[in-house]
Amino acid sequence: MFSEQTAPTAQGLLTPPSAEPPTFPRVPVSGYLDCSQPFQLGERSFSRQYAHIYAVRLAGMRPGLERCAQSRWGNDIALRKLSELQAGEKCCVVGTLFKAMQLQPSILQDISEEHNLVPQPPLPKYIQPSDELMLEDELQRIKLEGAIDVQRLVTGKGLVALWWHPPFRCWPGLTTCSATGTILAVYGSEQDDGRFLVEDHCFADLPPLLPWNGPSSDRFVLLASGLGLGSVSGEALLSTQLLVDVVTGQLGAEGEQSCAAHITRVILAGNLLSQNTQSRDTINKAKYLTKKTQAASVEAVKMLDEILLQLCTSVPVDVMPGEFDPTNYTLPQQPLHRCMLPLASAYATLRLVTNPYQANLDGVRFLGTSGQNISDIFKYSSMDDYLEILEWTLLAGHISPTAPDTLGCYPFYKSDPFILTECPHVYFCGNAPHFQSKLLQGKEGQRVLLVTVPDFSATQTACLINLRDLTCQPITFSGFGADSED
Amino acid sequence: MADELYLENIDEFVTDQNRVVTYKWLSYTLGVHVNQAKQMLYDYVERKRKENSGAQLHVTYLVAGNLLQNGHVCHKVAVVREDKLEAMKSKLSTITSVHVYSIQKALLKDSSPLYNTDYDIVKTNLQHCSKFSAICCAAAVPRTPRDAPRVPAPAQSPQRHRDPGAAGVLNGHGPPAAKAPPQQHKGIMGMFAAKAASKPQDTPKETKAEAKEAPGVSAASSKAPTKNNIMNNFFGKAAMNKLKASSVPEQPKEEKEVVKPSVAVTEPESSPITVGEKPGKKSESGRIQQKDKKSKTKRADRSDDEEERDPENVKKKRKRIKQLQSDSSDEE
Repeated sequence: MFSEQTAPTAQGLLTPPSAEPPTFPRVPVSGYLDCSQPFQLGERSFSRQYAHIYAVRLAGMRPGLERCAQSRWGNDIALRKLSELQAGEKCCVVGTLFKAMQLQPSILQDISEEHNLVPQPPLPKYIQPSDELMLEDELQRIKLEGAIDVQRLVTGKGLVALWWHPPFRCWPGLTTCSATGTILAVYGSEQDDGRFLVEDHCFADLPPLLPWNGPSSDRFVLLASGLGLGSVSGEALLSTQLLVDVVTGQLGAEGEQSCAAHITRVILAGNLLSQNTQSRDTINKAKYLTKKTQAASVEAVKMLDEILLQLCTSVPVDVMPGEFDPTNYTLPQQPLHRCMLPLASAYATLRLVTNPYQANLDGVRFLGTSGQNISDIFKYSSMDDYLEILEWTLLAGHISPTAPDTLGCYPFYKSDPFILTECPHVYFCGNAPHFQSKLLQGKEGQRVLLVTVPDFSATQTACLINLRDLTCQPITFSGFGADSED
Repeated sequence: MADELYLENIDEFVTDQNRVVTYKWLSYTLGVHVNQAKQMLYDYVERKRKENSGAQLHVTYLVAGNLLQNGHVCHKVAVVREDKLEAMKSKLSTITSVHVYSIQKALLKDSSPLYNTDYDIVKTNLQHCSKFSAICCAAAVPRTPRDAPRVPAPAQSPQRHRDPGAAGVLNGHGPPAAKAPPQQHKGIMGMFAAKAASKPQDTPKETKAEAKEAPGVSAASSKAPTKNNIMNNFFGKAAMNKLKASSVPEQPKEEKEVVKPSVAVTEPESSPITVGEKPGKKSESGRIQQKDKKSKTKRADRSDDEEERDPENVKKKRKRIKQLQSDSSDEE
């Protein structure tokens, strides 16, 4: 892996100065193609309702799911719409999942004065044993029971018309069932009481195979997220500097520097600024108190600019926005504006990209987000492991099924860009609590490297992905503190 | 021996100036490759310890290697104090690099002085921060102004935008040749840094792209040998020394500039330098300076007193922000 062949020269710099030390040229990028066009929004109009995105989602995923169902349960199973169901007949229905959750934050309850309720504080998880699952298609919905894990699955969607209010962060619905959900196929029969007894269910499974054009020699991509600039903690600052120094070839002995020259790209997956920069005081405090104060994010962005400048003079960098970065809130997040980074955007090596981000790097397809989709599913499902959730979204065929229900999303109406149409080779999510990685093999020969990129400000860990053999290695940085203990 | 000069330099930095000398700081200060800087530090430590075993020297090292953690092989990069070096090395299954990170007189409690030293030296060398690094990237070239999509400048100050634009402005979209430090500070952020200091330093380096600036500067510098007080006012104390140093190489430059048809240039050459004209010239070159530098402030003409230019500009800028804010609150 990284630096295996460097051991011989490890102590090489513990000598008096020698002849002119070598400079290694950075391995050039042989092929880069930005495939994030579906995530780039041009003209934005918020006058539409969210019902459309569900309709296109179902329409887009139905053919694939029907194929999956047939391959799984036989070619002769009956594919029915909910309106065509007959009691007792075993059939397969494709629809969107909806999970009725009592604890789910609802704007209607919050503002309802009759109940005199205090708005619910944010919880780590909103699941409860009493949650119920429902399946909806274009016209109807039906309650599900049986061989289906209520806790594990994520909220489904509702086809009820949703009304969207711009100032609110959570999404109101005309009924309490506002959701986005996973499209799945269930096999079972309708009972007399009107519920659907599920015997088996299946998701879309891995998307179709994308041919592999990867490099034949070692090339690395560094994935880091959650730099968290602008926070009060100083420990992470030295680690960030060490990261920049390793990548730019300043740190390390000659062997390590020559290895670092094989890093062809750096991808920063969101949360470049820390949560502390989200000073909400300006909203709550009186204007005379906040008039001359500067937003905390201004200093943080300056620091980010300097760090990016150091990186950009040495390696191509892709910067994705995250939850706390100065860009729009709804998914897909648009790239940071280059005017915020005057020093770094002078270089052609800096690319400001969307969240989610998709690109072909040296023939390897990368797809990833800054983690909002995964952490949202974490809140509404019993799944605890970020890697498990990441794998599940890939198998469900959708990057963020909970959008726009509990996760902000743009009201698409023509097509849902979050549906996975091709299987990426590297699928990552940023801002995870720890580093995890797994190589997934698909039935049709798909190979996907799943990576959860840890939050750098908390873990001081980044990931190095070798494009040649799709392996991933974490790289940790540390300084020493007053209580230095490893 | 010239080679041994670095030993004396490091000695001076560490013992006399009591600095924290990191390899990066040494590399930028002495202008050497980072690996050479690391070796220099090592050499210094070895020699110093050999000749004087009671030397008050504390060293931090950088150790990097592979470590087995949670079932997978993790690459670890750590800065450790000398006393923890062996412990860290024994923890790593394979060691990929060990080198000196910094030398300082005092024992460091934590690594923040290291970070601060590196931060400061990088900040002052932002424009060529990868110059002494071991990796050079061919793709890392500044965008040419043609390629970079530029928002059309507002109608009020198109001229002022363009002139500093030619000189390498806000986003550093300058001609690649003019990569000297001041350009990065042309934006609002760096406007008030003492970049007046670096201006005279640049003219020897820069091409004639900055026709307007150079005469202004040379006009100013031509007075350097004569009236120090005025120069003090013009640039500020920090610039004085650099100005004196660069005034000599600029003399031949001025003669070259005679050929250039430029209003500002003809003035210092044709007319003898008299006291009466100085304020006029000073104000004009000051204005040129201001126009070039303070492209954003439309009230540059208001002040002719360069001494207070910087703080006043700050004040001007504050006024502008204040006004905007008071406008909005008035409306409310």
